[in-house]
Amino acid sequence: MTEPLLELRDLDTEIAVRRGAVHALDGVSLRVMPGETLGIVGESGSGKTMTALSIMGLLPSGGRVTGGEILFEGRDLRSLPPDEVRRIRGVRMGMVFQDPFTSLNPTMRIGAQVAEPLRVHEKAGRAEARERAVEILRRVGMPRPDRIAGNYPHELSGGMRQRVAIAMALSCSPRLLIADEPTTALDVTTQRQILELIDDLREELGMAVILVTHDLGVIAGRADRVAVMYAGRVVETAATRELFRAPRHRYTEALLESLPEAADGERLYSIPGLPPDLSQPLTGCRFAPRCRHVTDECRAADIPLTGDTHQFACLHPAANQDQLHARVRPERAPAAERPPLLSIRGLVKNYGQVSAVADVSFDVAPGETFGLVGESGCGKSTVGRLAVGLERPSAGRITLDGTDIAGLSGRERRRMHRQVQLMFQDSYAAMNPRMRVDAILAEPLEIQKVGDRRARIDTLLDQVGLSRQVLERYPHEFSGGQLQRIGLARSLALHPRLIVGDEPVSALDVSIQAQVLNLMRDLQQELGLAYVFISHDLSVVDYMADRIGVMYLGKLVEVGPAGDVVRNARHPYTRALIDAVPTIDAPTVEGLTADGRARERIAIEGELPSALNPPTGCRFRTRCPLAAEICETEPPLTGDTHQVACHFPLRPARASGAEVAHQ
Amino acid sequence: MTAPVRSRWRLGLGVFAENRLALVGAGIFLALAAFSFLGPFVWHTDQVHTDLASVHLDPGTPGHPLGTDGVGYDQLGRLMLGGQTSIIVGLAAGLLATLVGTIWGAVAGFVGGWVDSAMMRVVDAMMSIPALFLFMLLAAIVTPSVTMLIVIIGAFAWLGPARLVRGEALSLRTREYVQAMRGMGGTSGRAVRRHIVPNAIGTVIVNATFQVADAILYVAYLSFLGLGVPPPAANWGGMLSDGLADTYSGHWWLLYPPGIAIILIVLAFNFIGDGLRDAFEVRLRRR
Amino acid sequence: MVRYLVTRVGQAIVVIVLVTVIAFLILHLLPGGAARATLGKEATLDQLAAFNHEMGYDKPWFQQYFLYLRRLVTGDFGYSYQLNQSVAEAITQRLPKTIVLSLLSTVLAVLVAIPLGVIQAVRRNRSADYVITSLSLLAYATPIFFMGLLMIILFSQVWPVLPPEAPQGFTVGEVLAEPAGLVLPVVTLAIVTIAVYSRYVRSSMVDNLNENYVRTARSKGLPEWRVVLVHTLRNGLFPVIGLLGMYLPALFSGALVVESLFNFPGMGQLFWQAALKRDFPILLGVTVVVTIATVAGSLVADLLYAAADPRVRLRRNVS
Repeated sequence: MTEPLLELRDLDTEIAVRRGAVHALDGVSLRVMPGETLGIVGESGSGKTMTALSIMGLLPSGGRVTGGEILFEGRDLRSLPPDEVRRIRGVRMGMVFQDPFTSLNPTMRIGAQVAEPLRVHEKAGRAEARERAVEILRRVGMPRPDRIAGNYPHELSGGMRQRVAIAMALSCSPRLLIADEPTTALDVTTQRQILELIDDLREELGMAVILVTHDLGVIAGRADRVAVMYAGRVVETAATRELFRAPRHRYTEALLESLPEAADGERLYSIPGLPPDLSQPLTGCRFAPRCRHVTDECRAADIPLTGDTHQFACLHPAANQDQLHARVRPERAPAAERPPLLSIRGLVKNYGQVSAVADVSFDVAPGETFGLVGESGCGKSTVGRLAVGLERPSAGRITLDGTDIAGLSGRERRRMHRQVQLMFQDSYAAMNPRMRVDAILAEPLEIQKVGDRRARIDTLLDQVGLSRQVLERYPHEFSGGQLQRIGLARSLALHPRLIVGDEPVSALDVSIQAQVLNLMRDLQQELGLAYVFISHDLSVVDYMADRIGVMYLGKLVEVGPAGDVVRNARHPYTRALIDAVPTIDAPTVEGLTADGRARERIAIEGELPSALNPPTGCRFRTRCPLAAEICETEPPLTGDTHQVACHFPLRPARASGAEVAHQ
Repeated sequence: MTAPVRSRWRLGLGVFAENRLALVGAGIFLALAAFSFLGPFVWHTDQVHTDLASVHLDPGTPGHPLGTDGVGYDQLGRLMLGGQTSIIVGLAAGLLATLVGTIWGAVAGFVGGWVDSAMMRVVDAMMSIPALFLFMLLAAIVTPSVTMLIVIIGAFAWLGPARLVRGEALSLRTREYVQAMRGMGGTSGRAVRRHIVPNAIGTVIVNATFQVADAILYVAYLSFLGLGVPPPAANWGGMLSDGLADTYSGHWWLLYPPGIAIILIVLAFNFIGDGLRDAFEVRLRRR
Repeated sequence: MVRYLVTRVGQAIVVIVLVTVIAFLILHLLPGGAARATLGKEATLDQLAAFNHEMGYDKPWFQQYFLYLRRLVTGDFGYSYQLNQSVAEAITQRLPKTIVLSLLSTVLAVLVAIPLGVIQAVRRNRSADYVITSLSLLAYATPIFFMGLLMIILFSQVWPVLPPEAPQGFTVGEVLAEPAGLVLPVVTLAIVTIAVYSRYVRSSMVDNLNENYVRTARSKGLPEWRVVLVHTLRNGLFPVIGLLGMYLPALFSGALVVESLFNFPGMGQLFWQAALKRDFPILLGVTVVVTIATVAGSLVADLLYAAADPRVRLRRNVS
């Protein structure tokens, strides 16, 4: 058996805080074999990033490894002199960080940053280092690398910067690449390009990769083996395919069930409660307080990892049987033909020269969920802000319940706000930090002069499942999921008929996300709410929405029933977007290949054009594999229930709806 | 969720108290204020009539523990009297500057557009005039008195707070919680009242303490340059400048006590400001 | 970059015009006005009227202002009866010496403050940081003239190695010919400046050391000195260039006190003596000139900053 490249033995890491210490890692043991990809997956606070930083010796101030061994190529990094460790870090390992926008030195040219390790570690001359840097930049897929070498980071897009970061990590041909959430800050289509690049480079250079992520889909497509972390410990490790097929630890099982794409009925499984506070001493299984299968034994003593190739630390593991099953998603009954609650026609919003929203039209029926998806900068959030009246459109009409909101007087406008409410991505930012929750919830009632606030607030708390005690607290005392509940309660205060949610669950961990999504659905049924659900995450929108609109660079390119748009996309952009989303779907549905990797998909290349000067005609034509001359004229949105704005739709409209020009 | 509910003021106070320097600052200030304002009730001296018979008495002379100055005033009593002026002018000018600056900056920040540009250019212009030159110019025009000193310093030290408050107003105006409130149909007036003012006030109060410290120094400079309050009134800065003349004659007791007093009170306000800043910020810190 | 340059210069001009308005208003809109202030309390109404007529102060105020502005532009700042020379002449004699004093102490301050600030940031919350922070705060809280006096006592009395008075030379060359006499004024002015700068450098360096790109630099296995001096220092110092401009008014105020204390024959001393004698032509002239120097200095600092930092330089180019 070959020696592992990296082996962690009982690693303990602590972070000193104001009072006491957070035990970020507790007895973490892992192995990485040469040339393999190990995925480390976990929610925020699980210790996945701390594991990566501990290996690299880059813990934040106050952090230090307090116990265990870090064996790299057979030597314990903890017992080596600091200069030696520094050299190993620079030459034998490389790391790519999460945020490409802040990870590069803003005032140093790209070429110099990539060449720096060569200059320092290999004592390369200036010219030689530069030449090799350009070569590495070419290798990571930079167009015109010799020119890019003279640029500064802010002149590049996020995806390009992440390529630079990879080039930098690879400059000395390391044996181990640690990628910490390398694509979390990027759009899905860019994410796909970056993940593929890392995969290719691994094969070509024969290095090992540790891929740290919260996204199970990313892991499923890329890793050979997976380690699942929870509250500072590794709870399960196995070959990727094995883990997703038959998770044994009850946490892994619950996590997989919380994914929106795993939903087979109307509800997601949601893990109750919150992860434990790591500054307190803990005994027993750390997942016990949230586990469905907990017994007294689980709380009595620490539970070690057991098993051979598939290890897990659970006393009551799930049965070793295939848990991936073809998902049967019930088609939701289309909303009855009723006059639309919200009707948007020809909506345009320009900020100076920038065309943010360009001629967007759609309807939302009462009680319906309309999903709006697209990548960053596509204008979906602007549509949301226009719909709730936070901004005024440059052109176009927004009608709410048959009334044009542009023509409203001040008083009527204020009353209009009772009908529509906005739900924010970051509820913390959307709450005045100096107001207590009671004041926050009372504010809409005060503004609209609605009586009996006390009773209304009590009802709201019941609806979102929070206790009365939250009223005396301040926003900073709550976790993300709780804040999102409070935000939802505030949105509901005025009995709105429509809630526009702008990425309402994007900042949440999977298990918490499931709680909030379920709550939103329950409330919809209870109160007959309509939602405009804005998100970059196609699987969440697919789970939530009755109908979906896809936006690209200010345009609505496709709109139709959720199932049709996701499974029978007609616009090439929609198709590329769907293909770029990494999922863990069962083989029967999406066709995992034998080695557990996802099947090949259709990709788009290149970068999003600037909204300052968008392409004429179809705005997607500059990146579209099907584009032809006719695409320089703008395609209208056509179709009956499933509409598409494309000269060459991927498939004809379904028989039920003949191809009829829109309106 | 299990932490006991604490009021925000008590929480802030707790953090302030935790900051030892801030407590020391508050202690020094209280001690100096008590010395200056309560001291004369205990230690009676004549600070109006000169006593040329007992000039430059050494410290320790019976009845004059800190000696006397060049015209026979008891130095200890004079320090008390001087402290009153320094503290009153410092506090009043600092508060005046904060008040004027807050109003100016708030109006510029809220109204925006060309009004904002015009108002901020005025601030830029006045800020380009070195403050001491401006104060001396004014002090040369009017006859300095305690009130006049307050007005002069207060009327030109407001520029810093004005810039600060405008910046806060501009940034707070675009916060998501203000947008959320607008989405509920709330008015601009409510945004200012309920969201912007409560969030800006901490910054303003912290800045005010630094303004007080600066004002005390300005009074000292003006006195040194010969444009402070004329005798028999006194302030620490003036006493210190008078003491300069005695450097070579070895009358150290005329120099060091007022010098140390000024340093202490300026330090005290800086410590208090730092502590307050922590106290206001901590409540916003997320777990 | 070009657009930025034009906007920034335009702003500076607006500011200078406003400054002349302010200086003018101060003199003329206060009770008693320039006449009462110049001629004193005992002056009769006739004397006041005669003075006002002579100076053109009986015309409508906007006319007076344009009169004043026209004189300024031609370099005519008026005539000082106290000194019996023109204001412009008095200022041209003194200004270069003040610039030398300010420049020398700024250079000294920058040279000392940057290493201090860097040490504090690297050793933050350790004893070296606390000691330097305490000393800076102490320097900041000490009135400059008291600080200067302590220096005189120390280095001219207790340990007499330096003269307590500045060189009295007429020209810059003559002043520079007596370097020993320059030491105390320059150092005194520099100490407070060091306190302010080092605090600024420290916080700028601490901010930058917490940035992600520093972690990236460490992940490349660079030695710590390279992380601090090559990656962090440059980014940390860009804002300090801007501070040099912002600090100019305070620097000139400090120079006023230092010149008065050490009897340094510069503009500050000229201004001080004029203030004691209520010599208004000098007071206004010096104020306007010092302010123009401040505005020009800030402009240069801002432009330098914009030219040095690629983030600013290139962003302006693109848009």
